[in-house]
Amino acid sequence: MTRLFRTLSPTRIVLLFLPVVAALALLPLVADLSIYTHNLMTLAFLSIAGALAWNWMGGFVGQVSFGHAAMFGVGGFVAARIILWAPVPAPLAWIAGGAVAGIVALGAHPTLRLRGPYFSIATIGLGEATRLFFTYWEDFTGGSSGLSLPIDSAMKHRLYWWCLGLVVLVSAASWLIRRSALGLQLLAIKADVDAAADLGVSATFYQDLVFALSGAVVGLTGGMWASYFSFIEPNDMFGFDRSIGFVLMAVIGGVGTVLGPVLGAVVFVLLRQYLLASYPQLYLGLYGVLLIFIILFEPLGLSGLLLRLWRRLPISRPAV
Amino acid sequence: MERFIDLTVSAVLLAGLYATMAYGLGIIYGVLRVVNLAHGGVIMAGAYLGWVLHGRLGLDPYLSSPIVVAAAYLLGMFMYKALVRHLPRGPAGGPASLLLLFGFWLVLRNVAYLLFTGNDQSITTAWSTRSVILLDAHISVSRLAVLAVGVVVPLALHLFLRRTYLGRAIRAVAQNPDSCTLVGVDVERIYSITFGIGTSLAGLAGLLSATIFAFNPGSGSGELLKSFVVVVLGGMGSVLGTGIAALILAVVEVFAILVLPSYLTAAVGFVMLVLVLVFRPGGLFGHRVLG
Repeated sequence: MTRLFRTLSPTRIVLLFLPVVAALALLPLVADLSIYTHNLMTLAFLSIAGALAWNWMGGFVGQVSFGHAAMFGVGGFVAARIILWAPVPAPLAWIAGGAVAGIVALGAHPTLRLRGPYFSIATIGLGEATRLFFTYWEDFTGGSSGLSLPIDSAMKHRLYWWCLGLVVLVSAASWLIRRSALGLQLLAIKADVDAAADLGVSATFYQDLVFALSGAVVGLTGGMWASYFSFIEPNDMFGFDRSIGFVLMAVIGGVGTVLGPVLGAVVFVLLRQYLLASYPQLYLGLYGVLLIFIILFEPLGLSGLLLRLWRRLPISRPAV
Repeated sequence: MERFIDLTVSAVLLAGLYATMAYGLGIIYGVLRVVNLAHGGVIMAGAYLGWVLHGRLGLDPYLSSPIVVAAAYLLGMFMYKALVRHLPRGPAGGPASLLLLFGFWLVLRNVAYLLFTGNDQSITTAWSTRSVILLDAHISVSRLAVLAVGVVVPLALHLFLRRTYLGRAIRAVAQNPDSCTLVGVDVERIYSITFGIGTSLAGLAGLLSATIFAFNPGSGSGELLKSFVVVVLGGMGSVLGTGIAALILAVVEVFAILVLPSYLTAAVGFVMLVLVLVFRPGGLFGHRVLG
């Protein structure tokens, strides 16, 4: 998808991007959205932001994390605790949750010198250890019975825009990272750590930076999630299935691209909703089959498919 | 003192199980450089197959073990031929192979949910509750049998890799697939056989653990992590190293009960995994591939 974007100038991308965002922002005002649709769209926004942030690590640096639920959960519970403890505006609580999640992500520093499968499996271990720790820290998380937040329907309504705003910020950040020197440095680390080090690109520093940023954004989405659903429970927030969700969204859309995780998250949320309603017993397996097909036939996922279509269109050919 | 002996004995017995499952993961990584992320899924599948054979046909788990091993071997051949073979080799294939095998694990889990629901199951036989007294410690017969298998199977595998033509070919491919092609070893065939051996060990480990622990379609991630700890700690594919590493993990896990609150003992394996990866990524005994 970045290749597709490279054929378009930055101005054109902004021109394409703005109407979409504006339409989405106006939608709840002009159309009478049902609660179901409103829920689904907010959920999709949160998922997009999380998938994009996962992709900074999993796609740009090439370090596939199976433990991002740890930061999601930390962000969610810190924000929830702050909201329950003091009458601060919710956005401040989310930001605090995100900040703590970013700091927690730095705790993964020792694992960041691992590459490939070693890193991925270490993140499974860290994620599961975090889940156990927080499930049993009942004073903070409420244990298996979870935490309930005061239900605030006005806030719930406003969260639509907050979440849309987060999506705009995170996609803009993804796009800027991709185009900046930082993006190239991450790409160098992904391609060959040792060669990157020879050129003065410190894998340790950049991976810490990206992992902390990615963790902070995922923590922020966790905090907003807590506010939106008014109830959170550690086994769900820190669950392995949630970590898998981030991976699936990015892979379905196209790992390492900017538009990919956006598409992937939308498809993931819709598919999940549909499958849970119609075929709850096949839900996991179908994701598995999807994952297998994508890796075998189109490693760039939906973005790869779109790129193929785009190349067939006459306008994609540069004028001679 | 009695408690100490009891704990030591149960650690030793557990180590046999850990060694079996770790060897299954280690041999695949050692030869193909692929981490079988579906390892936990195959362990779970082995447990269910043994459970079905015991429940439907009344087969004792030790009589059904050849069937489970053969079925898991075929499953592994299938996984290699249908999936893993199509991946790019080398570092580029790393994330792809993880995601691919992870997808397969999800499929296995779903199939198990469909067939057997999500309830916890375990294999209980007439001798599951029996125990023998050794050195003042009560030792359950099933754990003792698991240890016996956990010692015999890796040793048999060691002899197979050292003494037979096929075993030597597997070790040669682990060292250098290109030169193997030059001297006429069918590398693809060796890869699929190795994958089959790896999954058959996982299936066997699943069957063994089903006689001691409860399982459900979602189980397997703990087993995957433990296998990985042992593989990394013991060095890829070294039989003795794997055995020692399995013993270390089992001892640490079992004795953690003495110092840690019980709810945290489950996290010991995960924490150890991270510590090992960070401080001894080459294993306790340095890098060694199959031998």
